[in-house]
Amino acid sequence: MSLSLLVQALLNGFGLAMAYVLVALGLTLIFSILEIINFAHGEFYMVGAFVAYLAFGVWGLPYVVALLAAIICVAAAGVVAERLVFRHLRGKTLNAFIVSLGLLWVMQAAAQLVFGVQDKSVPSAFSGIVRLSGVVISVERLAVTLAAATLIVALYAFLEHTRTGRAMRATAQDADAAALLGVNIEAVSALGFGVGCGLAGASGALLAPIFSVSPSMGALPVLKAFIIIIIGGMGSLPGAVLGGLLLGALEGVGTLFFSSAAVNLLGFLMVIAVLLLRPRGLLGGT
Amino acid sequence: MRTGLSVVRVVAALASVAAMAVWTPAAAADKVLPIGVLGPLSGGAAAYGLDTSRAAEMKADEINAAGGLKIGGDVYKIKLIVYDHKASAADAATAANKLVSQDKVKYIIGNTVGATCNAVQTVTEPQKVLFSFMCWGTKNLGPDKPYSFRSLLSQWEVAEPFYRWVKEKHPSIKRIAAISPNDTSGIDTNTAVVKYAKALGFEVVADEYYERGTKDFYPTLTKILALKPDLLDVAAAPAGEAGLILKQARELGFKGAKGWTAGVNPVPMISVAGKEAAEGVWTPANIDVTSEFVSPAVRKFGEAFVARYKEVPGAIAIANYAAFDVITKAMVEAGSLDTDKVLAALTGRPHQTIWGPVVIGGKDTYGIDRQFLYPVVIAEIRDGKLVDLAQVAPIGLKK
Repeated sequence: MSLSLLVQALLNGFGLAMAYVLVALGLTLIFSILEIINFAHGEFYMVGAFVAYLAFGVWGLPYVVALLAAIICVAAAGVVAERLVFRHLRGKTLNAFIVSLGLLWVMQAAAQLVFGVQDKSVPSAFSGIVRLSGVVISVERLAVTLAAATLIVALYAFLEHTRTGRAMRATAQDADAAALLGVNIEAVSALGFGVGCGLAGASGALLAPIFSVSPSMGALPVLKAFIIIIIGGMGSLPGAVLGGLLLGALEGVGTLFFSSAAVNLLGFLMVIAVLLLRPRGLLGGT
Repeated sequence: MRTGLSVVRVVAALASVAAMAVWTPAAAADKVLPIGVLGPLSGGAAAYGLDTSRAAEMKADEINAAGGLKIGGDVYKIKLIVYDHKASAADAATAANKLVSQDKVKYIIGNTVGATCNAVQTVTEPQKVLFSFMCWGTKNLGPDKPYSFRSLLSQWEVAEPFYRWVKEKHPSIKRIAAISPNDTSGIDTNTAVVKYAKALGFEVVADEYYERGTKDFYPTLTKILALKPDLLDVAAAPAGEAGLILKQARELGFKGAKGWTAGVNPVPMISVAGKEAAEGVWTPANIDVTSEFVSPAVRKFGEAFVARYKEVPGAIAIANYAAFDVITKAMVEAGSLDTDKVLAALTGRPHQTIWGPVVIGGKDTYGIDRQFLYPVVIAEIRDGKLVDLAQVAPIGLKK
């Protein structure tokens, strides 16, 4: 096997890993603040993709505008979902699981009714291929990686260096104590859910021109997101990034040697190993 | 009193006349024949399911508008019962159970995706429900499944004539790579491609599979393209996924020939792949409803389909329409809805369909004659459109 083939395989795996890390970060943020697992998270990713399809693919708006629109629209949808549905399920894991499954079906069915079931194509936002010593780098995938990385850095800065971000972290650590210190838990929950969904919507909008867009497209990214946060550690931003890179490396390099079914199996075996040996994840807290 | 009785008699007589005026023998004897239709109406394979259900709808409406089916002494209006199984075998089994146990259907006309057909047959065969489908699983037909028919040419009928055509017309092509979904249809399609390509002297450098729902094909394509194939066959990939594979192969620098052995709905594939990536794709399972190689009946069907659904039908739609036609005519000929009697009317002779004459054969491949056989049309995608190039006979039809 040549070095260029190995490098290509690694690039393939890392190329879109950051976009999936965005989905994972949104999921873990929501879990941290509201203590619920949102199984409809993939559908917010799907909504973001459809917003990009409409804004960029159909109405011809600039791609950056479409991306911002996707983030804002999906974040707003997240706030609405939190207010109407999830606020009353804080800490009730089983109820929230069932409700989020219902929301998943509602959102998918609504998308099917509005857009139909056929895959929709979104034009490329960035075209061009760079070839370096036998390695192919898609400009579009590079742009997605940079955009996703920028959003991850922005999220980190928001959580670490803003008052609202600190309030979110305090709520995630101990909601009662945060409330006693004057944090408006309801507002923080709504904002946290909105930000979490907005991250998923951003990922959907970033990947829409690379993949096709369809009502059922949310299943695979949310599955990858679960794998990423289990490996990296629930609630850990650096853990999610590490989990994403590890999963990307496994998928990219693993496919050179094994079938796709075997690579999927390896991914789940990795999850089982982490859960058994280090349940808090590689970088998760105690 | 006498006057009152007279009035009553007159009113009764008038009422009888009025009742007879609205009563017709057909209205009194009209029965409902429920016919099931299954398919993936959502997800990556939705194009197959929509073609299946729409074709059934068109034929059922035609039959009902013409007065229904006269079977024995009764007239039946067809009622379609359509369920979406999302290309999942588990959902297909559930839907089949519902059709047979709750909806009491004895005929299911239309289904796609091999693994789902396997699941449905566990319900239909024991209950002697006649099941016609377009699934491409090899084991979907067999002597142990006498009530099952395939109405669309499968990989076992199209792969050999297709690769024979490639060898004759493009002798510089030596190395083949095939990629399909990792399930019954995909594995069977790749198996047929590999078998016939090797028999014809091609070198098969890659026999790859992916999980349905995959969007990122860079890892698999990197492995395949490193082996330098002359022809990349996206084999059993449905339209959306085939489009993504071709688009991403082009991004990775692939400039060789492209085939789509099992592709049956080119319009959504071209939409996803883009014109450049779809340019030059050869496909033996597709059909251009306006081409010179198709019958006037297919062209007419195509026009009616487009007018009603604003989308161009693929081969699956035509196959299910033909199956519906053949099976309902067999019911009329048998004079019965008993599936054993309809089976006897179906088998052993050719049928006139919108394809032209169709023979139900396939015994050499499946051990039983349950495969609709008609000529293969090989087409190429040029500038976003399907252009028919040649018509060749599958092995079973040649015999």
